[in-house]
Amino acid sequence: MMNLDGAIAPENTLFVLLCFEGPDVYSTAGGLGTRVTELSEALATQGYTTQLIFIGDPYKPATELRVDGKLILRRWAQWVSKYYPNGVYDGEEQKLYDYNDSVPYYIYNEVVRPAVAEGKTVVIMGEDWHTVEVMCRTSDLLNWYGVRGKTLMLWNLNSLMSLHRINWGRLNFVTTLCTVSKYMKHKMWELGVNPLVIPNGIPVRHLDPIDSEAVSRLRAIVQRGDPQRLFLFKIGRFDPDKRWMMAIEAVARLKDNGYPVTMLVRGGIEPHGADVLRHAYHRGLQIQDIVAQRPNLEQCFNALEQAPTADIYNLRFFLPEEFVRATYASADATLANSGHEPFGLVALEVMAAQGIAVTGSTGEDYAVSFENAIVTETDDPDEIVGYLLYLRRHPDEQERIRTNGYLSAKQFLWDRVIENLVGKLEFLARKQNIVFPTAQIESSEHKELMGQKAVGDPILGELPV
Amino acid sequence: MVADLAIYTVVHQPRRLKLPAQPIPRGATIEDITHCLFDERMNERYFRKVAQYSYYPAARMFLDLVRQGMRLSIGFSISFLRQAAAWDKDLLALFRELVAEENVELIGVEPYHSFLFLLDMPAFVQRMQGMVDELEGIFGKRPVVTDTTEMCMSATLYNALDMAGFRGAVMDGRPWVMDWRESTHLYRNGDEAPYVVPIEGGKTRTRSQSKPEQNPPYLLTRHLELSDDVGYRFSNRSWSGYPLFADTYADWIASTWGDLMMIGWDFETFGEHHRVDSGIFDFMRALPEQLARRNVTTYTASALIDRHAEQANHLPLPVYPTTWAGSGGMEFFLGNSAQQTILQLMNHVYGMAKLTENPELIDLAMWLAQSDNLHLIQWYGRSGPEAEVSAYFTPSEWWNLGPNGVIHEQQQVYLNALRAMEPYLPARLARQTKRKSTRGRTQRPKRELAGAHGK
Repeated sequence: MMNLDGAIAPENTLFVLLCFEGPDVYSTAGGLGTRVTELSEALATQGYTTQLIFIGDPYKPATELRVDGKLILRRWAQWVSKYYPNGVYDGEEQKLYDYNDSVPYYIYNEVVRPAVAEGKTVVIMGEDWHTVEVMCRTSDLLNWYGVRGKTLMLWNLNSLMSLHRINWGRLNFVTTLCTVSKYMKHKMWELGVNPLVIPNGIPVRHLDPIDSEAVSRLRAIVQRGDPQRLFLFKIGRFDPDKRWMMAIEAVARLKDNGYPVTMLVRGGIEPHGADVLRHAYHRGLQIQDIVAQRPNLEQCFNALEQAPTADIYNLRFFLPEEFVRATYASADATLANSGHEPFGLVALEVMAAQGIAVTGSTGEDYAVSFENAIVTETDDPDEIVGYLLYLRRHPDEQERIRTNGYLSAKQFLWDRVIENLVGKLEFLARKQNIVFPTAQIESSEHKELMGQKAVGDPILGELPV
Repeated sequence: MVADLAIYTVVHQPRRLKLPAQPIPRGATIEDITHCLFDERMNERYFRKVAQYSYYPAARMFLDLVRQGMRLSIGFSISFLRQAAAWDKDLLALFRELVAEENVELIGVEPYHSFLFLLDMPAFVQRMQGMVDELEGIFGKRPVVTDTTEMCMSATLYNALDMAGFRGAVMDGRPWVMDWRESTHLYRNGDEAPYVVPIEGGKTRTRSQSKPEQNPPYLLTRHLELSDDVGYRFSNRSWSGYPLFADTYADWIASTWGDLMMIGWDFETFGEHHRVDSGIFDFMRALPEQLARRNVTTYTASALIDRHAEQANHLPLPVYPTTWAGSGGMEFFLGNSAQQTILQLMNHVYGMAKLTENPELIDLAMWLAQSDNLHLIQWYGRSGPEAEVSAYFTPSEWWNLGPNGVIHEQQQVYLNALRAMEPYLPARLARQTKRKSTRGRTQRPKRELAGAHGK
């Protein structure tokens, strides 16, 4: 007799993550790359064999094993990427065609078929609009071969891009729709679908303590001998959704009102960046570009230190994670004041670094204003000005928010998120009548034991057959 | 009454386009361009399916029949042969075994199964000559009688085949070409009439084949009705002749007026167009004996020409090609706006490929000129039996795109090919090389400076 308790476990379940973005520098354009990289690592670390199929660096190996072989990176469409050196979304349509065309067969032949032969269940998760077609085709293919019922297929929405290209009826029929926040759930209601919410997460390393010396040094550099100087930070794509103008205007108004500010900004290559910097210039803010070649923490500090005094330092280089975390912790606030944010990973990372995140009020479900973060509810720059000056007057509040932010961030570690995910998968599996055999059943000792019991144990012997 | 019969069959698989059209990366290599244009996975799937249901059983059947004395003429497109070489060498070996039989004649077929002759007639002549060499290399027999593509024939095509050095050619005996003539005689479109006076200063006919043919090609005209009774109507339950048995069919042949007869079918007639449970294999296996009982003897195409060469008649050929497809004219391939657009695009792509002077791209353009790409969309805006035949050949996977989607995506394939070939134009290549060398020159001082600094 089998003990079927329906528990998903590494012994009976494999994961396949489908996403355009991934862990390579070539494959990272925003939060999505971070999400899938960390989610796949966390799943593999928990023991789940996990494949991540993404548009990888064309000059890296097509297949790479990590986390003791539990994480398998599959760099897809490398033959296309060779023609498009400017990252994951360069040659997007060409890559998309190849991805849609070839991934379903790979999943069936190389993942699902062997897994089904071993009695395992495959969980396939697609991310964002690029994976819609591949999810549908994979479902059709698996259905054709009679193994669709052995897989769980989830599709997750992280952004509102290209939603017009999605056939929602078809996608909703073949997958379970998910998203990362209640805000996104409400957005998707408008599209006639009702997704499950599985939040984003952060890896445990984001909770590591930050070197206090680095924090002190950075504050000293930025304040330029003026302890009253406010230190702000903003990082993200130059996208109007991120409300860069609101942030710049707030800095200008603070300065106009006699509160000197130093703001570090790190944007992308998007054209909106020119609008942002032009506005800063016209508002009388001094801007200083800083360039460096893949610097370490010390080199970042040196580059800042050597730069002339300015209101805004435009960091035009790849920021190492330790520098970013040190900046989160040092700054009086990190402005993650987006007008539209599906989840807002930056703010959560700020909280994990015991920084103060100024968020918007869309997808940041984790943020409670003046408890663990500062939540702006308008696009009025004075709202930021007002809150920052309030915090300045109440240093104890600052400390409380930093502490609470850290505690809140702990609830969003990937391990916790995966628990949430597994819970939902078990619910979905039940609906699909998928039975997860326990690990014990697989072991020969267990079979032997069961055999002995069946013969010798009077209690088991009395059970109805 | 007909006592001499030639049975001709042609084996072909198209190289299907990849639909929806795959966008081609900028600056793609020719190998990658090819990968984006053709759906080899689909081609392999169809090839294996047809091999299972038709090629293997039908080839074995014909092998048995020719060993028992039946004579057969068989043609292969290079399109098919390359697929067989890639995906089923055993099948290719089986066909080699069949062709090696004394009673089998190898017939030439336009290698790409293309409409190259609508785009570039000199190139067509060259390719037909190349085809002869290629087939000889594969089968060890050199075809002297040829088919074209879809049995197309016109006055110009005839002259091209004459120039290529063929002894004979097959064509469809369509009433609009035959007029008052019967297809049961041997024909040719000689240079005796209407010109009786030699043209002064005219060049003598050039022939590249080792054994120049002294006479213009003989024409074997396929018997339309009796061919289609098997090729088209055999499993049609609403046909008055259904079910057709070998004895009846042999009766029909034997009672037809004329000297000879050629009947021609797709090889896929056996097991693919008509499934095994239609009785098509039993029919064919029984046919030689029934023919013999009625004193009808089978011959190869060349043997038939040999036997009747002295009685060859003049057949005026039209400017517009005739074909064995549809109602017998090019309207089957060029009758709707979508087909006309594709032909234009074939022309553009071929012209662009010629401009690049790159043999591989020219080869690619010829694949894109495959007649099947027009055959498969004959149904557009039409209905009726011809449209049904066209739709039957359209890959079922394409219908997900919808009729308009199929047309749009097919055109897109050609547009993508055009764009992808542009970087290969000699002028662009020259500018690219120049730019690269200019960049190299401007970079040199920097390197020199770096070296000096190092010292």
